[in-house]
Amino acid sequence: MKRILDAGIKLSLFMLIFSASPLRAQKNKPAKIKAAALQVEMIQSDEIKLPAEFQVALYENLIRQLEKNGFSHVYRDGDRNAASVADLVVLHSTVRGFKAGSERARQVTTVSGATSITVHCQFTSSDGTSLLEQDVNGKVRFFGGNLKATYDFAKKAAHVANENFSTPGRE
Amino acid sequence: MTFRGATVLVGVGLLFAGLVIPVANAQQASGPVKVVQLTGLAGVKDNAKGTLGVENGQLHFVHGKASSEVSAASIQDVVTGADSQRTVGGTIGVVSMAAPYGGGRVLSLFRSKIDTLTVQYRDADGGLHGAIFTMPVGTADVIKKELVAQGAHTTAPGDSTPAANSNTSPSKEKP
Repeated sequence: MKRILDAGIKLSLFMLIFSASPLRAQKNKPAKIKAAALQVEMIQSDEIKLPAEFQVALYENLIRQLEKNGFSHVYRDGDRNAASVADLVVLHSTVRGFKAGSERARQVTTVSGATSITVHCQFTSSDGTSLLEQDVNGKVRFFGGNLKATYDFAKKAAHVANENFSTPGRE
Repeated sequence: MTFRGATVLVGVGLLFAGLVIPVANAQQASGPVKVVQLTGLAGVKDNAKGTLGVENGQLHFVHGKASSEVSAASIQDVVTGADSQRTVGGTIGVVSMAAPYGGGRVLSLFRSKIDTLTVQYRDADGGLHGAIFTMPVGTADVIKKELVAQGAHTTAPGDSTPAANSNTSPSKEKP
């Protein structure tokens, strides 16, 4: 009887340690930065020659995905209404890498022709102080046109924003 | 004239017509053009089919019963490009991928050239928008010229679609 009790206690301790670990990990996670609204600047591509349609698709998809992720106020580049917003976070994106790929090669060979795009995302406050910087990439490996890489990037960038920033009504 | 001579003459005539007619067609798209709006126009779904035209200083996109207008003066940049898309696309194209012995993959080799038109414009609040259209070869350049003539700005004034100017230029893949 004592052996069963001992085993029970050990098992409970074991379970307690393992279940507590994720809780501790969550406590160590940095607190989200408060952002009343986000402003998305047009994608810059000074070093890398990027086709105009990719630049526009990156920008439009990014805005759409941020809105989908619960950011209720997403302002576009140049929007005058953003000027009066307190706790405004501005997202600057610069293309760091681009491989055009080929839809035809993807469909014919499956393994080659991937399109990839790497964008450096910098979140700053309205006064220009950097809050977060991260490289985000977008890829299309198998199915879909080349512009699908911009959708992939936008989803990942919106996820980064979601993980690091909190807006009123969405914690 | 012998029968052989006449055949050669007709052949040369057809060859000449083949070279001239596509160029002529490319320059004739002055009315509304059938396009696909890939993304970006406010209030219009992605991949919406419709017609695009320039009239009274406005870029009109008519899709179904609805229509969207963008003022030419609000356009900051208009850029054309050349591209290609699968000749057999849509549902048939997807289903064909499952065809045995790589039959669907062979179909992927057949692609048709298209033009792209990318427009960046500002709304009433100054917010920047971007819209992408695909259209038949040779038509994007005409729309761009009409937009520029009616007040739109462009960062590439000399830019024109390679497909409209040359048959030998390499085309990009479909976006």
